[in-house]
Order: sequence, then C-alpha cells, then structure tokens
Amino acid sequence: MNSPVLQTDGLSKRYGRRTALSDCTLSIPPGHVVGLVGPNGAGKTTLLQIAVGMLAPTSGTINVLGRRPAAGPAQLARVGFVAQETPTYAGLSIADHLRFGAHTNPGWDRRLADDRIAQLGLDPAQKAGKLSGGQRAQLALTLAIAKLPELLILDEPVASLDPLARREFLQGLMAYIADHGASVILSSHLVSDLERVCDYLIVLVASRVRIAGEVDDLLSTHYRVTGPRRAPGDLPPGVEVIEASHTDRQSTLVVRSSGPIDDPALAVEQITLEDLVLAYMAQATTSSRPTLEHTR
Amino acid sequence: MTWFAWRQFRTLAWITGGILVAIGALLAVSGHSVADQWVASGAAACHGGCDTALRTFNIEVASSANGVIYQLSLAVVYVVPALIGIFWGAPLIARELEAGTHRLAWNQSITRTRWLATKLAVVGSAGAATAGLLSWGVTAWAHHIDHAKYYRITPLVYGARGIVPIGYALFAFALGVALGMLIRRTVPAMAATLAVYIAAVVSMPLWIRAHLVPARHATSALDLSRLQEFTIVLPSRVMKVVSGANPGDAWVLSNNTITSTGRVFTGPADPRYCGDDQGPRACMNWVGSLGLRQDITYQPASHFWPLQWAETGIFVAAAALLVGFCFWWIRRRLA
Repeated sequence: MNSPVLQTDGLSKRYGRRTALSDCTLSIPPGHVVGLVGPNGAGKTTLLQIAVGMLAPTSGTINVLGRRPAAGPAQLARVGFVAQETPTYAGLSIADHLRFGAHTNPGWDRRLADDRIAQLGLDPAQKAGKLSGGQRAQLALTLAIAKLPELLILDEPVASLDPLARREFLQGLMAYIADHGASVILSSHLVSDLERVCDYLIVLVASRVRIAGEVDDLLSTHYRVTGPRRAPGDLPPGVEVIEASHTDRQSTLVVRSSGPIDDPALAVEQITLEDLVLAYMAQATTSSRPTLEHTR
Repeated sequence: MTWFAWRQFRTLAWITGGILVAIGALLAVSGHSVADQWVASGAAACHGGCDTALRTFNIEVASSANGVIYQLSLAVVYVVPALIGIFWGAPLIARELEAGTHRLAWNQSITRTRWLATKLAVVGSAGAATAGLLSWGVTAWAHHIDHAKYYRITPLVYGARGIVPIGYALFAFALGVALGMLIRRTVPAMAATLAVYIAAVVSMPLWIRAHLVPARHATSALDLSRLQEFTIVLPSRVMKVVSGANPGDAWVLSNNTITSTGRVFTGPADPRYCGDDQGPRACMNWVGSLGLRQDITYQPASHFWPLQWAETGIFVAAAALLVGFCFWWIRRRLA
C-alpha cells in the first residue's frame, strides 16, 4: 500500500488557551524511519498520541496508513505504539504481558515475542515491576512489534535509558525493521539518539513543524557558510538563512539552498544533522514572527 | 481480553472467594445452633399464639453468640457492596490511567470500548455474584430471627435481605468505575465512591422506598395490650398513646391513635382517672373506654418482594446509566 504512513492537514491541538500543536501539515511516505525531534514540550507527544488515536485533534485532519487513527480493531492492528515512559503492568509477569498480546492481537507472532525475550535474557516469570528501565522498554517494544504492525510509533522510547540500554533498544528496533520492513516514527529531544537510525526527519519546535524531509535531502540542501560580515539579505537568490551568527568581521550562517552556492567570497561547508536541527531550534526561539513551514 | 481482565482481577477474586467461604462456614455452623434454639424454644412446633415461644427464642438468641452474628451479618451485607465499589470499581480504570497502562492496553488490536466492556463484565458479574451469594446466605440464616424479632421488611433489615444487595453492589461498582474515570486518581475516586454510595443507600429508606409500592392503610380498635407509648405531659395533661400492634410483620410508616371523630388523640387526661392518686391501671381503663382507634399506614410483609424488585430495579438502572456514561466518556473524552 502506498498511502502515506502519516498525513496531516492543518492539525492542531489546544488545551484551553495553551496550544500543544498548531497547524501541522505533513505527508510522510512509507518505508522510512522517521525521527521526530524537538525540545521537551514542543508537541511531539501530542502529535504521536493523535496519530494513535489516544487524543482527538482540536482541528485539522489526520490519516495514518490512509485511515483514521484507531478507527477499529483492524486499524489498531496495523499500528504499534510504545508510549512515553514505556508503561507496563507492574504486578504482572513478562509471560502475562505476552499472553495479553497474544489474546488481543490477531496477527500476534508468538515465536518473535518469545525469541526476543529469550535473546534479552529475561525470565518470563519475572514481574514487570521488577524490571530495569531498559528491560521494561524492551518488553514494551516486544509487545508493540510482535503484533506485526505496518507502522511502529515510539514516543521518547530511549529518553530514560542509560547509553548501553539505549543502544540495545535501538539495535532491537533496527533488527525488526530490517526483518519486517515496517515504517517507524520515533521521537526524541536528542538528535544524537536518532542520527544513526533515521532516514527522515521532522523538527517540531514550540508546537510547530519547522522542517520535515528525508535526511539525505536535508543534508544536501543545507550548508554552513562563512564569510566577511554582511547583511542577511545580501545573499544569492534561492538561499535562505536559517541561523546567523556574527562577529565584528565575520558572519557564520546556516542556510538552505536548492542549488550550489556560487559566491567566491563565502566558504561553504557541509553541515551535520545535529547542527541542522539546532539551527532550526535556535531559529524558532529567536524569531518572533511565525516561521514559514518547510515541508519539502 | 476476557483472560486478561480475569488475570488482573484474579488475586482479588481469590481473596473474596476465601472470605465468602469463611463467612459461609460460620453461617453453616451457627445456623445449626439457631435451628436448635428455634426448636428448643417451642417456636418450631407452635401454631398461633406463639408470642411466648418467640419471646423465649429471642432471649435465647440474644444471650448466645447468634445475636452478635445476626448484627454482624447485617453490617457485612451493607458493607460488601461499598467495598466492591471502592476496591473493585474505583481502581478499575483509575489505576490504569494513573500508571499509564491504558496507553499499552488501548494500542492492542481491540477497541477501548471492548476493553472496557470486558473489564466491566468480568468484575461486575463477580461483584453481583458476591453480593448475591452473601445476601442469600445471610437471608437464609437469619430467617427465624427476622420472623421472631425484626421483620425483614423493616428498613434496616430489608437492605440486607433478598436481591437488593445485588442492586447495591452493581450500583456501587458502576459508580466506582465512573468516578475513577472522571477523577482519574484511585484514592480520591474511592473516597467519592464511598460518599455517594452511603448517600444513595441511606436516602432509599428515608425518602423513596415507602413509595415504590402503594402503602396500605388500616384502622382498628386500639389494642392497649401492646402499648408502645403512653405519656401525659403536665400541666397541660396532653396525652400521647401509641399502640405497637402490627398487622403481621409489617413495616409501619405512620401510626396514629385517633378519636371516633377521626382526630389524633391528644387527651387531655381526665384528672379523675389519671391523677396522681390514681394508679396507672385506672387511667388506662379510662383510655380504653374512649373508643379510640389505631390508624396506620404500612407496607405489609407481602410487599417484601414487590419492593425488593422495585428497589433493585432502581439501582440496576442507575448502574446501567453510569455504565453508559463510562462508554460515552471513554470514546469521547478520555485520552
């Protein structure tokens, strides 16, 4: 199926006066590992919870795999979700959790679930409440993937894990993606968590989508340019400044440009994904006017 | 999902089962001793004019452990529905919301409506069964004592007999679930459940129950052999005379002593018969000669089951409304 894994149009969520998500318009093609990056409180959880049907949007439309979120058992079966803090039933054993998954998911792959738990070296009789944060996250991930979803959504799955558990978790996730070819959306407030696994990126800051696109495209259209100090408007056409910092004599700019920048006075460098994201975050916090949204 | 609802509920179910078995054993053992007292007092063999035998029976029960068991069993039948609401109903959803586990449950391939329906069905039916079993056991056990002393239709006893406790339990359970969903915190939801349950169960005998089935009205000659109250207030000599005569194990709603003209009798006491130098006997004879009548409205013993069905129906309907609200809320408002 080729419908976008996530398609939103003018999606907004307000809690009273507070806006958690405003005018979010996205279209994510299938087959990607999508990183949703933004500082804490940017609206990442809100967007993901709307996508799994846990929250209803205030306005706008959303389709996940071409259908309304959580529209029925069939739609629920197609989307796996690992919630923030990876909640599990503290009083129930790992085996109970797997049995719960088997009873409630028609597509449940028992073998996959059992093998994962065995690989992790976990005792199925152990209570979930006694697991470490990393083990609990792995259990939650096992439940989400053993139902064999077409789309896996993970909300800050590694935020509370130590570096080793974080790496193991992401390895487990990547192994599943490699075997089953599912699309994945995962959020984090750290780009470094996502850099190695994502090939598509959405930057969400202060309830707005700042940029979204394939990582390769983003990296090939963004540059860091350094040159003699100049006014921001004084740049070749088609070049847009994302972030600028100046010393007395020199300007360092992060710019977006569809073509190569042909200006002999400027030193043009490639930019890392982390710097690119930071530039967009900085732009959002410094600019008072709402930024134009870039979805391509 | 049924398996999982049972798995989550299992520990509580076993504990409850254990307690029920213990209560059942206690009732079975002491039930024999009540039956013995029933025979020994002569009440079992008596037909008509059994007052003496019943009095003997009452004294024997009161002086044995059975008197205490009777009072305790009454309390237990009232408390158990409250406990079901507090410990089964209130945490059912609130605990999931508190721990965030609803996010896990609602992302399996079942709708949250079905998730809720299954949980409600498993735990709710266990609640109804618990209250029903308990009420059945206690009603059977207390059969003779109810007849001899308290009458099962009188307000306090009535709520712990028959099928009404099932209605209470279903109502308390649905109330707990709904409040847990609204408040989203287990402990405050428990407290709110207890408060509303008490208000509902207390308001029933106070204001509602007497009107569920039309009460009967009867007037008869004043029976001074069953005096309940006989007072003269000085110096006005206003009298109050109330006979405790009861038309057959009934719940008496109002009881007035009226004169031949239909007014409530208030004296004044005639000093010739009811003065200080006269004995109480003379005064009573005088009252007996006035042709006073006892005017009562009452729910006869035969209304026990119609009242039980009506009251149970009200509580079950309230529970159904609360459950309906829960389904609406979980689809529309809860996230």
